[in-house]
Amino acid sequence: MAEKWNITLVIRRQKQGQPPFDQEFKMEANPDENVIDLVERVWAFHDKTLNYAHACHHSTCGACGMRVNNVEKLTCITPVRSVVADGGTLRVDPMRNFPVISDLAVDMGELYRRMELVGHHPVNLDRKEAIQSEFRPSGPAEPGEDFIRLSDCIECGLCMSACPIVGSTGDYLGPAPLAGAHQAGVKGNPGLLELVSGVDGVWRCHSAFECTAVCPSNVDPGWRIMELRRIALAEKWKSWFSPNKSAEVRK
Amino acid sequence: MVNTRSTPKPGESTTLWFIKFITGPILLVVAFIHVVINHYVGSIGGLLSHAEVVAYYQSWYIPIMEAIFLITVISHSLIGLRGIILDLKPSMSLMRVLDWVFVLGGAGFVVYGMWLLRAVTALGGA
Amino acid sequence: MNTSPNLFARIGRWFDPRGRSLSDYGFILNRLTALGLTLYLFLHLIVLGTLAQGPDAYGVFLEVIENPIMKFGEWLVVAAVFIHGLNGIRIGMNSLGIAVPRQRETLIVVFILSAAAILFFGWKIFLG
Ligand code: SF4
Repeated sequence: MAEKWNITLVIRRQKQGQPPFDQEFKMEANPDENVIDLVERVWAFHDKTLNYAHACHHSTCGACGMRVNNVEKLTCITPVRSVVADGGTLRVDPMRNFPVISDLAVDMGELYRRMELVGHHPVNLDRKEAIQSEFRPSGPAEPGEDFIRLSDCIECGLCMSACPIVGSTGDYLGPAPLAGAHQAGVKGNPGLLELVSGVDGVWRCHSAFECTAVCPSNVDPGWRIMELRRIALAEKWKSWFSPNKSAEVRK
Repeated sequence: MVNTRSTPKPGESTTLWFIKFITGPILLVVAFIHVVINHYVGSIGGLLSHAEVVAYYQSWYIPIMEAIFLITVISHSLIGLRGIILDLKPSMSLMRVLDWVFVLGGAGFVVYGMWLLRAVTALGGA
Repeated sequence: MNTSPNLFARIGRWFDPRGRSLSDYGFILNRLTALGLTLYLFLHLIVLGTLAQGPDAYGVFLEVIENPIMKFGEWLVVAAVFIHGLNGIRIGMNSLGIAVPRQRETLIVVFILSAAAILFFGWKIFLG
């Protein structure tokens, strides 16, 4: 028989234009189910007015990002036993830095616009990354055959919620769009390089590495931002010593 | 791709960050020497007396090292402070004013520091 | 993005310790030490003006900084220099693409070295 725990689930509620408040739900939980299952049970059996976003339930759609005990989590892959003990209290809040639409559902529109701005592709076009052996250990089927695969970033927004700088200046492009720019490739794309090395780009990062800590999809935005810095510095260095090239870049 | 988001001078952030980056290690070395000599080898519980300070500045390389320290530490700190303010989403017009404050304030402190260095060095020749 | 219109709430976001990973404490300490050291730098420069006014004025300054509160302040400055300087090396290396996957471990080294230096200089300032 499945193990049963008794826990208290605290959910941050807020309807537009009204002050937020915490609501408690005492419930039984199987420690091996995921946090999204508890939220869904609250909606199904306690309160039909609870709003939250979810879709695939297997960490592909990126819709169910929330803060669980103040840490950004994809709730469909966050087992109850990893965040609370039997008899304990589990807190669920909406993500930070996004406008709250209702309760746990936030407006992610600005993230999607930024991902488009940097040319992030849901399908990975970076051949070097796409042919890593973990994805095709036997190598290309045909010589010259290109592999494509889905991009790691599922645009869940957890990194944007966790980043302390996105929290103080919403103009900062943020970890996911910068990681998207890195994946799209800034070399040979002067407009994109200008964007990521501009005042709202990689220099706003101050190495808190919260993005990498919370990313559920191993995108490692912190590492990608540091790579972009290295590229931006190298390009700047070249432009100082080869002014013709920098004039070309400016064109 | 048309960039509509960054500032009119998009490259300046990289240059300023590079100055902050390059002044960091210089500062570490020079600040270490400055702190050890000025705070730990003097006769007043480690601190230098007035006469010791004046004597210390008489060799030709110490004022040069202290001048390098002065310029690098002011540049590094003001560029860093500017970065912190940028993290608070200031308006472009406020930032333009602040940039002048940083440039003039920084230059003012460098001039003041240079004057102080000269004044202290000159006390030894009196 | 939805950042608070309140300036203090935005500043508070940098220092909010809830649910943070270790690396974030590196950021918090770097920011606090940066602000502290900048304030100290300009006060230090102004106060050193007493050097040009001769031994008597400088003597008064030396007496003031013998006060235990000032000594504690000096210790804080030394602590800030070590934390900011050592973490600065880490961030500088990371920005050149060096040791990024090891940023957490290098931060632990930064904390250990800083703690050792802070204890050593605490002993020197208060007991040495
Ligand atoms: S980088 Fe990671 S945390 Fe950020 S949106 Fe993409 S998958 Fe989510």
